[in-house]
Amino acid sequence: MSNSPHDATPILEGRDLAKRFGGRRGLFQSEPTVHAVNGVSISVAAGETFAIVGESGCGKSTLARLLLRLIEPSEGQVFYQGREITKLGAGEMRALRRELQIIFQDPFASLNPRMTVGAIVAEPIRLHGLARGRAVDERVAELLRVVGLRPEYADRYPHEFSGGQRQRIGIARALAGEPKLIIGDEPVSALDVSVQAQVINLLETLKEQFGLTLVIVAHDLAVIRHMSDRVAVMYLGEVVEMSPVDALYEMPLHPYTQALLQAIPVPVPGGRGAHDLPQGDIPSPTAPPPGCRFHTRCPHAQERCSEEHPALETAGEGRVVACHFWRDIQAAANPPAPVREGSAKLAERLELYRAHQTRREEETAAAAALD
Amino acid sequence: MSQTTALTDTGSAPADLGASEPVLAVENFALTFSANAPANLIDGISFTVERGKTLCIVGESGCGKSVTSLALMGLLSSPPARILSGTARFEGRDLFSLPEREKVNLRGNGMAMIFQEPMTSLNPAFTVGHQIAEGITRHRGLPKAEARREALRMLEWVRIPAAAKRLDAYPHQLSGGMRQRVMIAMALANRPRLLIADEPTTALDVTIQAQILDLIRHIQEETGTAVILITHDLGVVAEVADRVAVMYAGHIVEQGSVSEIFANPQHPYTIGLFGSIPSLGRRQGQLATIKGAVPPLDLMPKGCRFAPRCPFADRRCMDEVPPAAELAEGHSVACWYAPIEEKMGTRQ
Repeated sequence: MSNSPHDATPILEGRDLAKRFGGRRGLFQSEPTVHAVNGVSISVAAGETFAIVGESGCGKSTLARLLLRLIEPSEGQVFYQGREITKLGAGEMRALRRELQIIFQDPFASLNPRMTVGAIVAEPIRLHGLARGRAVDERVAELLRVVGLRPEYADRYPHEFSGGQRQRIGIARALAGEPKLIIGDEPVSALDVSVQAQVINLLETLKEQFGLTLVIVAHDLAVIRHMSDRVAVMYLGEVVEMSPVDALYEMPLHPYTQALLQAIPVPVPGGRGAHDLPQGDIPSPTAPPPGCRFHTRCPHAQERCSEEHPALETAGEGRVVACHFWRDIQAAANPPAPVREGSAKLAERLELYRAHQTRREEETAAAAALD
Repeated sequence: MSQTTALTDTGSAPADLGASEPVLAVENFALTFSANAPANLIDGISFTVERGKTLCIVGESGCGKSVTSLALMGLLSSPPARILSGTARFEGRDLFSLPEREKVNLRGNGMAMIFQEPMTSLNPAFTVGHQIAEGITRHRGLPKAEARREALRMLEWVRIPAAAKRLDAYPHQLSGGMRQRVMIAMALANRPRLLIADEPTTALDVTIQAQILDLIRHIQEETGTAVILITHDLGVVAEVADRVAVMYAGHIVEQGSVSEIFANPQHPYTIGLFGSIPSLGRRQGQLATIKGAVPPLDLMPKGCRFAPRCPFADRRCMDEVPPAAELAEGHSVACWYAPIEEKMGTRQ
């Protein structure tokens, strides 16, 4: 965990990034322009877990791809360890790709079905010349072990694995290039709850083990609170608030962040209580509203909001927010009630559950050592 | 929530059921997809739903929660699906032995279903008004113009803005949340006494999900419809359920009132599931996990199906199916060692 992201050069930085899709003029009709990302600046400190959160169409996945230059920005620059990468040629970029990896949401779609797991994981090793001959196989076996898969699985094909196992294969492949930073684009959202927990724990362990920096793109606010150090909240292509994780969840400043936190169902009966939900749908990114993009759904919107675009301003230690009235809203609002935790009985039984689980693992490991 | 159109009853009032009489009572239901399958896909489950109440069936992929709802709706083709045992009494009549003609009449009338992805259940070639009116005409025999008026009333009722305009919209012209509202309007157009909602908000964004959950709750208060809501999200369960059934690999491992299940979860699977969800509060160390994955049917143990992943399981768990035991009023658990702190706390 990094405490002071400001001291050192950020490992990854985007400045005024914008991406527009479409907009071509046809003979009879011109295509609408999608403003996917609009004037976004973020910087990620080495060693931290930085999260980008928002609902569908907010541009979070596009931003992730811009940061890795998987797509080219319409405007703006990306810096990796202080060096601009938006201008690099293909050769130089390829060398850098080893250090910047991505894990995708859908482990079904992101693995080549015609390659064995071994070949999938070995590819980056060979491509970047990290090992040769037998050493490649050894490295693949080691990587599979690291992500909790059996080395024998190297000869199998992706379809033979469950969703969680496939995500582990994707992670093994991302690790194969010995990266410094991994971006996870909804890395756990296609997985069942129990499998999701396994993969979250794995990512955390690997981060520690290899000193990685993680950028997590997600819509699940509980996953983000659990995993990240700092969070950027996006709405319709823009960052509306950026903050250290605890401050954001305990005192959200932007009305959209407040709405998001109020809308999540809490796994405690009666836990969410009364709430004012944002009305209506998210506007189309082909025609974002003028002024503040959230004003059409904002319970606090005033005339100024539909006319003047709010800039991000500093709002306390390490926090920025883009809202004309955040101070007034803040002064009038009660801080959200602290999250009620699960029952005492559950806590007691969960402790017992973990204790037995650990003991079983030790017994299995001991038995395996005897073989 | 503002401006809601009240849905006054039009005379098709549901049969007056006694308060204690459940709308649906499923007993010992078992199903397989292949005559020589090594284990049953659904293996003897029982539950009931009462008028005006919501039963949440919670479980992970492959636990059989969706298959159960499809079987109740009579939407599984047989073969390959084969009901091996059990009854499902809907207002007293067994759905599993009902002639097809009567089932068709019941579907969309007495009971209705909404699905996770509304786009796949709406016909892209017809306007939403047409699709809602179709069911009204089919089941209530209303003339076209009247059915259309009724469809409009339904759209207003599910709070679709500019409903009159949307009546002539095609599904692709609507957002995901709007489509789900249309699905709900369609499902409720004939005032069903039972609504089965299979992951109705899973494909939706969180702010839209909250709107739809509010809508379902509101509708239920107004009409007294019984709801079976199938979900994997314990947050959704806490928010809407009266009763909860936890399913694992074709068994109901635990069921009870929502307050019991959340305050006093007993089955090791339920406990592991709770431990797997990250909290919205301050971080408290690594998440608990459930090791491994659901075994395929040919490796399913004869006994408790959770045994291979359970930190407490022993030989007996692998060999003998634990019976559902009532540990508190209306709260039953199928585990040999519940409550674990008494049976396992001191055992070494």
